[in-house]
Amino acid sequence: MTRYFSRRDFIKTTGIGTVGLALGGPAFIGKAFAQPAGRRTLRILQWSHFVPRYDRWFDPFVKRWGEEHNINVIINHISLSDLRSTFASEVVAGRGHDIVEFIDPPSDFEPSVLDLSDLNQEARHRFGQQVPFATRSSYNPDTKKYYGFCHGWTIDPGDYRKSLWQKVGKPDGPRTWEDLLVYAARIKQELGIQNGIGLSQELDSNMAGRALLWSFDTGTQDAREHVILDNRKTVEAVKYMANLYDRTLTPEVFGWTPASNNQLLIAGRASYILNSISAYRSAQKDVPEIAKDIYFSPALKGPGGSGWACEHVIYVSVIPKFAAANADIAKQFLLDLCANYDRAMWESELYASPAFFNTPLLSGDRGYPRVRGAKKMRDLFSHWFSDDPYALPGEARGKLLPLKDAESWATNVGHPGPANPAEGEIFGTYIIPNMFARVAQKQQRAEESVKQAAAECQRIFDKWRAKGLIGHRG
Amino acid sequence: MRSGRPFHRDSLTAFALLVPVVVYLAAFIGFPFVMSFIYSISNATIGDPHFSITGLNNFREMFHDAAFRTSLANTFIFTFVSIALVIVLAHILAELLIRDFPGKWIARFLLMLPWTTPIALGTIGFLWFMDSVYSPFDWLLRKLGLLGSPGDLFGPMSNLYWLARPGLAMASVILVHVWRLLPLATVILIAGLNAIPREIVEAAQIDGAGYFRRLFHITLPLLFPVIGVTVLFSVFFTFTDMTVVWILTRGGPPPHATQVLASLAFLKSIQGGDLAQGAAISLFFFPVLAGIAAIVLRLVKKAVVV
Repeated sequence: MTRYFSRRDFIKTTGIGTVGLALGGPAFIGKAFAQPAGRRTLRILQWSHFVPRYDRWFDPFVKRWGEEHNINVIINHISLSDLRSTFASEVVAGRGHDIVEFIDPPSDFEPSVLDLSDLNQEARHRFGQQVPFATRSSYNPDTKKYYGFCHGWTIDPGDYRKSLWQKVGKPDGPRTWEDLLVYAARIKQELGIQNGIGLSQELDSNMAGRALLWSFDTGTQDAREHVILDNRKTVEAVKYMANLYDRTLTPEVFGWTPASNNQLLIAGRASYILNSISAYRSAQKDVPEIAKDIYFSPALKGPGGSGWACEHVIYVSVIPKFAAANADIAKQFLLDLCANYDRAMWESELYASPAFFNTPLLSGDRGYPRVRGAKKMRDLFSHWFSDDPYALPGEARGKLLPLKDAESWATNVGHPGPANPAEGEIFGTYIIPNMFARVAQKQQRAEESVKQAAAECQRIFDKWRAKGLIGHRG
Repeated sequence: MRSGRPFHRDSLTAFALLVPVVVYLAAFIGFPFVMSFIYSISNATIGDPHFSITGLNNFREMFHDAAFRTSLANTFIFTFVSIALVIVLAHILAELLIRDFPGKWIARFLLMLPWTTPIALGTIGFLWFMDSVYSPFDWLLRKLGLLGSPGDLFGPMSNLYWLARPGLAMASVILVHVWRLLPLATVILIAGLNAIPREIVEAAQIDGAGYFRRLFHITLPLLFPVIGVTVLFSVFFTFTDMTVVWILTRGGPPPHATQVLASLAFLKSIQGGDLAQGAAISLFFFPVLAGIAAIVLRLVKKAVVV
């Protein structure tokens, strides 16, 4: 007799199946992250690099490293904007990746990650001193804990169009914020090309605002992590920015994304932007005639002679507490990544710079033309920044020379103090760009806007101090 | 005769059928809701799964925060302007689409397209349209001589900067949201219009009632329950949505000109790391939406009874 599958049977079966899935699903997902017996597995989570060529090198490098150490390596690249939320979910779930790489100091994750003091000590032993702002971006002086390991950073110079600056009598581009105001205004007035400093709720506007504050000898915190924003120098900096907006910018800077300044420069519509060399590299590929006209200047100096650039892309890896079982191989991998940073520099087209300049160069074929006499990363760095290996045919040589001493004018978020969670929250919620923008838009007076921003910063600092992640150093 | 046993076969089947729904509601709505409440009275951060209860501090801080007050006002503007436009436009479209005309199915198909497009993709398309350098809208206005030269209707600047000026940015966000909600609202209203008995309309026509008299005395009163449900859906969609705002403006131009509560909660909790503050902001939705739902459903019920 044929047994028909009735509607009731169907509903029962699917109902039971759904319940089974609901109850058994988590166990199945859990198994996906479980350690298989035998060969160990290292899981790496990181952002999709701004320079795609870097990832094309990195992924096979990681696989090869895994084969050499008899380790399965799984690498997942995700969008930068998803990185924090993904890692937060993994922290709550108590399982996930063994290494997570951020491009800003993840100091608020300190309670959930391993203390990497031993790794940092071993790295200094093998590769020499770390650039100071890399240490300040991975070490909490209050808890005496290395919550991360910083292996590299990105130089953030000023990118200017030489032909435009030549026409207004400043062929070597601006050297001070005052130069920027005076000459960029002339370029806008006489040549119709605007300046390109962002005033929006985005990464590069955050960077520009901090660079300006530090160059005016002020900032959000002092070296002992006390809020100092509400002072006369901040008010001057805010008034300067409002003036810069009036004379050199257009309303579009209030709506910018991190890519907008690159886009404006490449479109030939910006005289100056604050950015890494990525905008220039993109122009080399897409609009060579613009690229040939792009030159670089170091951090602009303020009225007191200080000049600082904000490290808004700094590579900090963490090892979560839940990955303690794999900490040994994760640390081994990070040390080996540092040892191979010549390739990281080369494959990122000089976008990434090493945090350990005294790392000895490995022998053998390194995938780039050998540099005579180069023994350490520093030698390679100096050579490549003196004579850009990626310069276009017929392009002027030595354009990257002003960036050779970038580590002396680059500094971390939180300068002159460490990059603590309060600084991270201030950065992540755009309090500084908003402070500048309110005055540029004439919604508030400079003094009021600074007071409001300082009060917001103070509230954030108090909260994190109560959590014990910022100390009470007097 | 049915058995008197408490666990009759049918009862068990009914129970089994209900279990998935109960599990789903408990896991994906109940549990997050309870967690949100707990987080909102704690000092939880995204970097630390441990937290302690701190009382109502987060709510007090929330009300003192200028960004929250701005976002609250923006949320109401965004929601009510969007919904008013959706209801008016949906009604016009529904009136047109219930009539017979050549190519009616193509028109209906085109109308539904925005609803079938993933919202993130559609919004990214608009992001390009409203780009500060390459906007095709601006290009068209320049070609028409309406933008880019002194004396032009939209000003001498080369671009309108859709997403950089506070008023225009809010208008852009509303425009994209209306584009997204319009198909659903239109389809619901078409169904409502088709359900109105033809004889009532015909009787009114015979009695000499004109279009507007029929609209305000017959169509709209009979459509009221349908419009109520449409409004309710739209309010929920709009009040809790951050996709359009986040992709187009990320809450800017500064300071928070288009920030809505949903995007502010994300900004504070994920980007800022303050999970507790984010949870407090999201919980603000609950009494507001519950209140709106209660009012609308009451009005709808009244209309149906009448």
